[in-house]
This record gives sequence, structure tokens and C-alpha cells, in this order.
Amino acid sequence: MILIKMNSKIIKTSISYITFLFIVLLLTVGFFATIASAEFPLPSPDKIGYPPLHFNLPEAQRIVLENGIVLYILEDHELPLISFNALIKTGSMYDPEGKEGVAQLTAYVMRTGGTTKLSSTEIDDRFDFLAASLSISMAMESASVDFSFLSKDVDQSLELLAQILIQPAFEQNKFILARELEIEDLRRLKDDPQRLAFREFNRLIYRNNSRGRFASMKSLSKIERDDLIIFHKQFFSPDKIMFSVTGDITKEQAVNKIHQYFGKWETNGLVTKTPDLPQKINDGLYFINKEIPQSTIICGELSVSKNNPDFYAFTLLDFIIGSGGFPSLIFSAVRNNEGLAYSAGSFYRAKPDYGIFGAYAFTKTQSSFKTLSLINTVLKKAKSNTITNKEINWAKKSINNGFIFSFLEPRQIALQQMKLEYDQLPLDYLLSYRDKIENVKASDINRVAAQYLDENNRVYLILGDTKRFGQPSISFGKPVVINPAD
Amino acid sequence: MLKNNRIYNFFLATAFIFSLTANCFGFDLGEKVVKAKLKNGLTVLMLERHISPTVALYIRHLVGAVDETKGESGAAHLLEHMMFKGTTTIGTKNYPAEKILLANIEQTGVALDKEKRKAQKADPVTIQNLTSQLKKLQIQHKQYIIANEIDRLYTENGGLDMNASTGQDVTTYNVSLPANKIELWARIETDRLLNPVFREFYTERDVVMEERRQRVEADPDGKLYEQFLNSAYKVHPYGRPILGWTQDIVNLSPDAVKKIFAEYRAPESIVIAVVGDINPPKTLKLIEKYFARIPANNKKKNVVPAEPPQTDERKVEVLFDANPMMIIGYHKPTAPAYDDYVFDVLETILTKGRTSRMYNLLVTEMQIAESVSASNGIPGTRYPNLFTISAKPRHPYTNAELEVIILKEIEKLKTEPVSDAELTKAKNQLKMEYIQSLDSNTELASTLSYYEVLLGDFRYFSNYLTTIEKVTGADIQRAARLYLNSKNRTIAVLNKKKD
Repeated sequence: MILIKMNSKIIKTSISYITFLFIVLLLTVGFFATIASAEFPLPSPDKIGYPPLHFNLPEAQRIVLENGIVLYILEDHELPLISFNALIKTGSMYDPEGKEGVAQLTAYVMRTGGTTKLSSTEIDDRFDFLAASLSISMAMESASVDFSFLSKDVDQSLELLAQILIQPAFEQNKFILARELEIEDLRRLKDDPQRLAFREFNRLIYRNNSRGRFASMKSLSKIERDDLIIFHKQFFSPDKIMFSVTGDITKEQAVNKIHQYFGKWETNGLVTKTPDLPQKINDGLYFINKEIPQSTIICGELSVSKNNPDFYAFTLLDFIIGSGGFPSLIFSAVRNNEGLAYSAGSFYRAKPDYGIFGAYAFTKTQSSFKTLSLINTVLKKAKSNTITNKEINWAKKSINNGFIFSFLEPRQIALQQMKLEYDQLPLDYLLSYRDKIENVKASDINRVAAQYLDENNRVYLILGDTKRFGQPSISFGKPVVINPAD
Repeated sequence: MLKNNRIYNFFLATAFIFSLTANCFGFDLGEKVVKAKLKNGLTVLMLERHISPTVALYIRHLVGAVDETKGESGAAHLLEHMMFKGTTTIGTKNYPAEKILLANIEQTGVALDKEKRKAQKADPVTIQNLTSQLKKLQIQHKQYIIANEIDRLYTENGGLDMNASTGQDVTTYNVSLPANKIELWARIETDRLLNPVFREFYTERDVVMEERRQRVEADPDGKLYEQFLNSAYKVHPYGRPILGWTQDIVNLSPDAVKKIFAEYRAPESIVIAVVGDINPPKTLKLIEKYFARIPANNKKKNVVPAEPPQTDERKVEVLFDANPMMIIGYHKPTAPAYDDYVFDVLETILTKGRTSRMYNLLVTEMQIAESVSASNGIPGTRYPNLFTISAKPRHPYTNAELEVIILKEIEKLKTEPVSDAELTKAKNQLKMEYIQSLDSNTELASTLSYYEVLLGDFRYFSNYLTTIEKVTGADIQRAARLYLNSKNRTIAVLNKKKD
């Protein structure tokens, strides 16, 4: 999902705070600190001298088990917790034609449908009693497992996980329940303008591609339990999976435990053809009618891949255009200057072999076209050598100074390394990242802007009260009205 | 000097204890929290964690939407937005010139709002003149503004998650920075507490209107939540939305915002938490150097009117172009009352996990709900709050059908005590959530400052799990009988608008 910069939370429930509880055993109480300090003029915030930042980036170790499972390990004994993560080479883009939703249901029912050794009820009871949370989520181009448990429960937890990954039972009644809940979710998706708009945007941008297919009432009704069994067999196999284990466990222990619970898992040997890459499409303006007082505006196009040398220049360009928060161009133009939106910006999803670049804003019905024009003007202007050195320096500094936050905790570090391998990126990707950003020249940024920002390849989508949009000041062509399928 | 030595000794002592226990349990982290009070009354909490060379910085003010004057709802939240507009030295090319223009803009804006409030009796010519005058002044003002400088400074220095949030109880400003950049934060934050400049006020008010459209007018969940609270609270300001009512937002004046700001200035109501790769004595010195210049205030807090006990069940229906959903809520005491812990346990028993009572019954067994979720402590912690159950029926079931089953389950709590197994499971889950929350600088800074500012002492939580451990089945039964009654109940439902 796209990161939308939020400036405040409206619904602040204490439930989130209750999860943040903290035990404190303070030794001393209410402990003073009143060093008298004379007032001094506040220094210029751009001229404060900072001490150097010293750090060594910890690295996860990579081990390959005999059956091909790749395992990343990073120890961290601060808390009595172990985090287990996995990435699986699969995704909803592998849904069988006409049965869109199979991948999603497979992941869900693996968790909820019992195993060949334990019924679904027994599995649920055990997880809840251990207070261990396991989620298996299916994305468009991968699946992931997120599991966290107390280190004292390592055996029970991994035993349950192994059964679920290797021998799920897909109990019929749990399959039916999952399908019904999925149908309910589709029904409710239409109540959420942003979710609906982004799904339809994806459908448009991935037109004629297996990534552009989504579950519908119709496709779900065609899915049977056997479809899940087949999907699981095809994709959940040691040669298609990578693990990361971090936290309160030694490297030896981690290797032994993973070997104990997953060592006998055999590779299915099935080769799966990766779906074709998305192709450039023609531009167009699309409307979705929904009678609400605010429009959701999204536009976007196919763009630079991660393996393209221009990736770094485009990353900076995207930051300047709309990902860099308040000072970025779209945010400034739409929110700051005109007060037309609370959320506005750009997004750049770079995959190893293709990328998607887009922009969005949520604005009141009457200003739909005005906002769309503002966004389009920013994109147009960016193409004509207008990105300044000041903007580029700001973007470079921001990205490179903030880079350290990619290494906050062991789980994140191991996951990151695993993701690199999954994406088949060069091993020095992270190490060289900052240098490559630093070395991008102003001319590179202006070149990639001119080369890749492409109006003729851009999809414009507005979801809102179409009757009240009014007339655009510049023409975006004749709109095509979409009626999203159930 | 002496004091500095004491800090030093203190650290030696804790470091020693920590090294003995560090490998057995994370709970010992708590021993490392250092609390200090500046002379002006500002509280500082510090916690060393050297996992990464970063630091999470939280500033919390005991000022929120509840502190607004009636008719000015949304003022605290708009102020939070205005706090990003810079200071007399950040975001300006020429402050003296700006100052004159700002006064003009304010005067024109206030006059325009006043005329617009006359509604039908308003003079269209006056409105038109004032509107174009305001527009002209705003354009003139732009030449002096360097927009978004606070954000620019933070991001350029590697800042992450720079954000602020307004709650009913508390307003928060937070950012994470590389550990060597704490001084930048101290510089900016002190400045905006001492010398803020509320630039682009009227444009930002429009932004907030868009925020309201996004979160409430176009969002069925937001709409229902707002109406639910407004029914549950008739007197206490918890019944007002944090964002403000539309008619209040469009009329918010710079004065309304300044009134709330005056409360921010009270260092006695400010708690700072710094968690990460720090050296607490040095960090404290730096904080002292900057924040000590905020003068003590000693102003008495305004009294917020108490909500009288509810005497009859309240029901409200929202019609919206969306699928049905509902919220049921009961008034109850807030933390640190013992019964608040009891409700934390009950919340877990009812809806946490697939085997929880209501999830299992409504979603898995009867298959009449898409989701169900209990929450203790809605919408805040400063004043008596609510225990709520939110649920969404699964088509073709209705809110009414779902309500019957939920209420029956609640009645059951009064007649049959929960089993020991359910209690143990809930306590395991609460313990796990607690341990997981210790895993990030941001969460730690957030939690420590939250409880310190609200309850006056973050150590309230040192006994949290100990108290949770004491909760019995009989406690839950007693609390259910005492609070979960029809007279004390508000039910808000959202039903699909018929065309």
C-alpha cells in the first residue's frame, strides 16, 4: 500500500496504547537536573555542528540447508523473543485464469484450516495459548510469513509452523468460511474509496497482464478446496522459500531447529513460468462514480526498474516530485499552496524488472480537475530541465542521512538481506546504495525525467461524484466510466 | 558539579546491574529509564538502547481536544498543523515585513468569517471584496515565506517519521533522528514553543476540511465513530470530534488556536522522552540548555465538566452508502482504577485471537459477522471512558440480529464466571504484547511519555502485569454486572442508505 503522509491521528483509541505497556523498576526517584544555563541566541539550524556518527552495520548470516532452504540468521538477546520470517516465490499473479483469489485463499486457509496432524481448532487453541501470532500473507508477486513467539516456546512454535507450511489440511468447512469472508470483504471494499480506487488503478496499469486480475464474486464462486491444495503443492516447496530467524536464539540453535523441523521437507521440483512483464499501455482518463464529497485521484505509469542504472536518479526524482514529504513538489503545490488536499504525493514501486510511478491526492469534488491539473503541471514541468540543485541536494541528503533507519533492528536487517536475494539484486546493493545516490548528477535527473515521465503512457483515475466534477480547464480526453465488478 | 557526579554514579550502578541480568530478561530495561525534571517543571525521560545509532524523540503536551472552548472544536488539531509553519527564524525571508502582513491577513480573514456567519443576511459584495483582498494579501505574503522548513530540516538531516498527533487528552510531536543530531531537534522544538509563527492559517484550515472529508465524510467507519461518541457523551467534551465539527472548523479563528497554544507553553504539562543511542547525562545537558528557557507557567488547568451518569439506553442510527456496522459502548472508570485492568482482560477474552469468545462465536461458529473487536478506553484516558464492541454483520445478516447475539454474550458474563483457561490465555496474550512493545525505540518513547504525561508517573506500569495477574473470574463477573447494563449503554448503527 502506498505510504500516505499523515499529520495527525483522529481516532486515538487507547487500545493501541495498552499494547505498549512498559514495566519500570526505577532505582532512583524524581531525579533532579537543574544545571543553570544562561540564555544564548538560538543557532541557525543549518549551522549546528554535529559529532560524527559511528556505527557498524550488523549483518545476518546466510546458510543453505541440504534441501535448498536459504536461511538468514541474526542473534539479538535483548528480549526473550524470536522472530521468524519467510518469503515465498509465489503471488496472486499466479492465480489460475478465471479463479482469481486462489492464492489469497490458500495462504489464509493454510493458517486456519488445520493440518494433517492437528485440527483447525487444536491449532488455534495452541497459538492463542502461546500468544504467538502467525500470519501468512499473499501479495501480488510474493507471499510472506510473519511469526513471533517467546524463545522458551521455540519447539512448540516451529512444530506448528512446519505442519502449517508443509502439511496443511485445508478443512472443507474452513475453506468455505474463508471464501465467504472474502466475498464479504469484496462487498465492503466498495465502502472504502481509497482501497477501491487503488485496486482499480492497479487493474488499469496492469491491463492485459496476470498482475491486473483480482478476485471477484464470480471468480470466488468457482474456486474449490482442490484449487488450494494444488496451489499449495506448486508453490510451497523448499526451493521457493527463504527463512530468516532473528532474536533470542544462537546461530547453532537456529540451524539445528530449522533442520529438525524443515530438513525433511522435499522439493517438489516443479518449475513455474514467471508471468510476462507488464507492457506499456495507452493513456486515458477513467471515472468511477461514487456519491461522496471527496474525490480520490490517482495517476500513474510504467517506469524504471530496480536493475536499471537509472533507478537511483529516478528515486531522487520521485522524492523531489512527491515522496519527500512536505517540501516535495506535489505536496507543496496541492496541499501547501492551495489547501486542496490533506493527503497528496507520489509513489514509486520499483521491482527488479519493472517499476510503477504514480501520484495521488484526495480532494473535494469541486476541485477534482483543478487538483489533477496541478499534479499534471508538476509532472510536465519536471520534464523540462527544471529540477534545481537545491532540490537535488535536499533529496540526496535526506535519503542518505535517513539510510541508517533501514538498519533499526535485527529482524529488519535480516529481512532486508533476504529480500535482496529474493529480488536477485547485486550483493553490494545496500553497501553501495548511498554512493550511487550521491553520484547521481543533476543532468541525470533531468534526463530521466524527460525520458521516463510519459503522459502518453499515463493512466488518470478519479473516483468520486462524477456528476459534480465540472469541466477541466485543460482536456484530459473523454473519460471512460468504469463500473467496478463485484 | 556534584549533581553531575551523581548522574555519573547512577549510571555506573545501573550498568552493573544490567550486565548481570541483561541476558535473562528484557524487563530489566525498565531499570535503565532515567527521569529528570527541569527547573521550569518540564519532565524528561531517557532510555539508552544501543541497537542502532538512532534516537526516537517524543514531546507530549497534556493538552488536547478536551481543552477546547465549546464552539471552537478542532482548535487543538488545527494548532498542531500550524506548529509546522515555522518560527520567527525558521521559514522566513524577512520576519518584520511578514509580521505586518500577517496582522493584515488575520484582520481580513476574521472580517470575512464574520460576514459569512451571517448566512442569508450576508452581503455578497462584502464577501467578494474581502475574499479577493485576502487572496491578494496571501499572494503578497508568499514572497517572504520559505515553506515547510521544519520538515526540510528534519528530513535533510535523516529524520524519519516526523509527525504530530492530536488526541482528546494529549498532543504529541515526534521524530526519529540519527543519534548525533539531537541538537537539531532541541533547537527546532524549543523555537517553535517560544516563537512560533502561524503562517498560511486560512489555507491550512482548508487542508483540515479536506482531512475531515477524508476521515469522516467519505469514510463510514469515521462517520459512525463520531456519531457514537456524540451520543455516549452529552456533557463531557469526549463527545466532540478531535477534528472538530464542520461548522466550527470553517469559523476557527487565529485567536482560538492561540488560546490552546497558551496551554502548550506550560512546561509543567510537557513530557519529553528520548530513547536510543544516547548518553543520558549528555543528552540531559543538551535538553536543559535549550528547553530551560521556556518560562514556568503554573497556570491552573481549566476544569472540564464531568459526564453525568447515564440513566437510559441511547441509540443512534447513521445512514450511509456503505455496508452495515455497529458500535456498542458502556461507560466505565479510567486508569489507574482497578476495574480498568479488569476491562483490559475482558477485552482480550472477548475478541483477541481466533479462539476468543466473540470472534469464535460470531465469525467462526454462527458465521453472522465479518469482524468483531472489543476496545477498552475509548476515546481517551484522562477522564472516565468507554468499553466498546465494534462489529460488522456478514451479508445478509443485519445489525439488529448481530446486536441480539452480542448482548446475550454480555449477559452471560454476568451469570457464568470465565474459566481459568480463558483467563490464563488472556494474561499470556497481554504479557506477549507487553514484551513485543519493548522492541522499538519509537514505541518505548511513545509509551513512556504517554503514561508519564497522563498519569504523572511512568512507573504506574511497573506493576501493570502484576495487577493484571491478580484479575479473577469473579472480578470480571462483578464488573460486567456493575457496568455492562442497558441503562449505561449506547448503541450506534450504520445502515445502508436507501436510494
